[in-house]
Amino acid sequence: MFEKMIAFALRRPKVVFGIAAGLTLLALLQFLRVKIDTDPENMLPRNEFVRVFHQEIKKEFSLYDYIVLGVVNEKDKDGVFNPQTLEKVYGLTQAIPKIDGVIGYELMSLANKDDISQGGAGEVVFKWLMGKPPYSAADAERIKERALKNPLFYNTLISQDAKALCIYVPIKEKNVSYRVSRAIQGILKSYQGDEKYYLTGLPLAEDAFGKEMFVQMGVSAPLAILVIFLLMLWFFRHVNLVLMPILMAMDVVILTMGLMVGFGFPIHIMSSMIPIFLLPICVLDSIHLLSDFFENYAATKDKNKTVLHVLKTLFIPNLFTSITTMAGFFSLSFAPIPPIQVFGVFVAVGVGIAWLATVLFIPAYVALMKEEKFKNFGLSHEELKAGLFSRFLVGMGRFTLRRWRLVLAGTVVVIGISLVGISRIQINDNPTKWFARRHPIRIADSVLNRHFGGTYSVYLVFDAKDKGAEVFKEPAMLSYIARLQEYLGGEGDVGKSTSLADIVKKVYSELMGGEEASYVVPKTKEAVAQCLLSFESSHKPDDLFHFVTPDYARLNLWLQLRSGDNQVMARVERKTEAFLRDNPAPFEVTHNWSGLTYINMVWQDRMVVGMLWNFMGSFIIVLIMMIILLRSVVAGFVSMIPMTVTILFIYGALGWAGKEYDMPVAVLSALTLGLAIDFAIHFIERAKAIYAVQGRWPQTAEEMFLTPYRAILRNAIVVSIGFLPLFVSPLVPYNTVGFFMFTIMFFASISTLLILPAVVTAHPGVIFYEAKKNFLGSCPQCLLMSLVVAGAVAYVLVAYSGARWNTATLVALACVAALSMVCVLVSRSRQCFFAKKGVKEKERTI
Amino acid sequence: MNKTLFFIVAWLGLSFCPVYAEMSADEAAQKASHIAYYQGKDGRSSVTMVVTDAQGRTRERQMTILRFNIQDNGDQKYYVYFYKPNDVKGMSYIVWKHPDRDDDRWLYLPALDLVRRIAASDKRSSFAGTNFLYEDVSGRSVALDAHEMLPGDEKYYVLKNTPKDEAQVEFSYYKIWIDKNNFVPVKAEYYDKEGKLYRTIEALEVKDIQGHPTIVKMKASDLNSGAFTVADFSDVAYDIGITDDIFTERYLRNPPSQWIKG
Repeated sequence: MFEKMIAFALRRPKVVFGIAAGLTLLALLQFLRVKIDTDPENMLPRNEFVRVFHQEIKKEFSLYDYIVLGVVNEKDKDGVFNPQTLEKVYGLTQAIPKIDGVIGYELMSLANKDDISQGGAGEVVFKWLMGKPPYSAADAERIKERALKNPLFYNTLISQDAKALCIYVPIKEKNVSYRVSRAIQGILKSYQGDEKYYLTGLPLAEDAFGKEMFVQMGVSAPLAILVIFLLMLWFFRHVNLVLMPILMAMDVVILTMGLMVGFGFPIHIMSSMIPIFLLPICVLDSIHLLSDFFENYAATKDKNKTVLHVLKTLFIPNLFTSITTMAGFFSLSFAPIPPIQVFGVFVAVGVGIAWLATVLFIPAYVALMKEEKFKNFGLSHEELKAGLFSRFLVGMGRFTLRRWRLVLAGTVVVIGISLVGISRIQINDNPTKWFARRHPIRIADSVLNRHFGGTYSVYLVFDAKDKGAEVFKEPAMLSYIARLQEYLGGEGDVGKSTSLADIVKKVYSELMGGEEASYVVPKTKEAVAQCLLSFESSHKPDDLFHFVTPDYARLNLWLQLRSGDNQVMARVERKTEAFLRDNPAPFEVTHNWSGLTYINMVWQDRMVVGMLWNFMGSFIIVLIMMIILLRSVVAGFVSMIPMTVTILFIYGALGWAGKEYDMPVAVLSALTLGLAIDFAIHFIERAKAIYAVQGRWPQTAEEMFLTPYRAILRNAIVVSIGFLPLFVSPLVPYNTVGFFMFTIMFFASISTLLILPAVVTAHPGVIFYEAKKNFLGSCPQCLLMSLVVAGAVAYVLVAYSGARWNTATLVALACVAALSMVCVLVSRSRQCFFAKKGVKEKERTI
Repeated sequence: MNKTLFFIVAWLGLSFCPVYAEMSADEAAQKASHIAYYQGKDGRSSVTMVVTDAQGRTRERQMTILRFNIQDNGDQKYYVYFYKPNDVKGMSYIVWKHPDRDDDRWLYLPALDLVRRIAASDKRSSFAGTNFLYEDVSGRSVALDAHEMLPGDEKYYVLKNTPKDEAQVEFSYYKIWIDKNNFVPVKAEYYDKEGKLYRTIEALEVKDIQGHPTIVKMKASDLNSGAFTVADFSDVAYDIGITDDIFTERYLRNPPSQWIKG
């Protein structure tokens, strides 16, 4: 069938391109209705408990996601408490609420806060803390003293050292944060002076990352394409021929993304990575073809014949690599994480399109080109053997054959060191850290978290079992909450916490004369209620209901963390749970967590763990496919060795380098699997094809050193160098992708070319064997296979016993099953193909 | 509707027009202020305030308010005694209102057995956590604003009131609608510094009590937060013989039993 396809493409190239152009246009049209979704919260399904709960408590306590504007004055001896800075703060407090998307009346600033203080004898003063400018030096001094004394402001609105203060800008939706922050920057231009301004906060980090990510997509992807193009040009020295795979790769990206958008999926942080993933996969396929074309053309001097020959030789390996990559990515959809499911499915679809494009476009393109264009193209056999690169390949190849024991021993050592490294891996993530250290958001994050109690908000919500009893007016309950706060404050991660208890204590102590000793929760429920009613008689009575519901049946404890790291959040959660377990509440209450920092921990946890499981699932699926394709359990295992070593090495290196296992790293594991197996497939398939002619391993190897080795290394060089531009991106996940591409390609190719020949030299039978219909006949094979099956069954049981199945899971499962069927069919027909070929070869020798 | 009656009413309305036109803005403001806050020599009412927040949750306040005029359209004294919520029962305030300067206020907290003098820098803070402000309850002095008559309609004068000292208040101006028949202020709209309407107060029901047109139901709405408060005034009585001496600290601890049932 494939010969018919290639023949059609050679005969009717214009039809092929016509159809492709039509489809591309259709795909481009889909982009008219593109939806973009940069909210990482959507990593969790909308109906996920933490998300539903977050929305519920945001509504119930009128909480909003905040952008944090820090004002720091290190020059003035009084820090920010000098008349000029305070006047700027006042001005900002008036100006920022006017920005569209800001919830003006909920803005938190010293300049719009009430203060309770002591007047004359027996007098309590309620007044705006800052009043209106102009301020005198004495005003500034008074404001400083009052603000530092108010536990509700301290460490939240002003820093301990009085050098910094914060304005919390509540926003209607997370996805306006970037725009609002730009508007704030615009306003700040007219407030310049000794002050430095910093903008940060999780919603801003998340939204800004989304926006900047698309910019990076527009810069990095084309840059990678350009570098790959130049490298290929250098290798093959033929502009037109090199242009082809590049255009093809871009077309595959357009078709895939068009299909995705057409189906109504928004472009999410995950799916925006699809082009970066498809690009190397597409280029890999065509480099193998071009490499062979380049080296075989000189022999025939006929472009059509050469292309047919090359495609025939490479058809099977290309199909195999595509099928295994697709299966690997489809298996991502098993995870109950919607954006990853979409990502997995469409990368897999893209790989399928890439395969089709390779077998159709390359012949069609070659058919359209004039023979004269190839005049000085290609390498003769003599040229092939000469040259530094060739000498290196041959040298390396012979070394692995001669010193195979050394190579295998080295492999074991590398595995050992890597395993130790893997055990040191820290699972952690923090969206703010997706920005490079020099990025303004990252700088703001570190400056403000040094001065304040923390810019990362977490809400711990307590629900009273008895809804009618106003439990959170009970002094015992409030003292209990205060004790928890005190405990958490002493543990280090929580920089500041605020609750109803703080409000009650503050009001009570001011009513009692402002003495330190009266900063406690009053003794009776009535006293609490009366303090609260006094608080409500202020300019901002609604502030109370950020911390408690009007029925006093639900309480919100606001924790501020200095770091948004998952590990920090997890530690705070663990310690809190322990405290609550060891110190039972005086009334029956339940509790739940909320806030962006907490939600991030939940989805990142789920994703990291989910990806780990998926990765193991993909591994098993690819292994089974390799067994079916190669019709040998042993060969299947052998083919997985270089990839396994590569993966262990990369993750081991992460562990040793102290790089945390975060979202981008988790996602990239899938790519490692998809790309690294390709080299082994090419190696084994080519070795078998050559062996079928040569009949002996050393001779086969000698031939392997040239064409297949060259193709594999070329691939590695092109893709690894092509992705180096990603290293300069200010977004850390892009650096990670660059690092991974580089190490995957580099290590996978080297380990394939070192380990596989060494294994084959040790025991050629592992890949050269009579293909049997029933390959499970022999005992060792049967035993290994049952092990694989047992592993697969155990995996399914463990990984999916608790998982929720959804449509995407079922679709993915069906796709994997279908691909497995293709595997079975291909491996069968190939037997006949080689069987016939073998007969012919024999006839010729006779 | 009876056509004849309609014409008579229309004719009457027209014939009074010239009289209304002569009404100055200051005069209308003064009359409205008098109707809202100074009728009779003294007064008492039971007030129930229900706050409904943006989420539809409600909370209730119940109190008795006593009022005593020192001087018509001038100084007054107020006594506020809380009945509900139950746990604040007995909390009480005394306010000595001074149109020309900060009021004097005392607060009594029975659970702490504590009387505190409250110095508030302005009168525009919340009244006991409701959407009414102190100034809505005790009245904003007419002298604080410049009044300007806007084109009204047959039933209402419309005044635009601009504060003379803008720094003291959070609004840039407010409009009030005054009923031409009885000078009851039936609606007020407050505009913020950007000129956006953010707060309204409406009289929902007006009754004649002892010959005084009296608002017995009113609503204050915060358009920013979406919350509103409805106040019901019952048992309203004028000229009941309240004396000056009950507005003192001694009566905070022991409410005057003839007016307030403990």
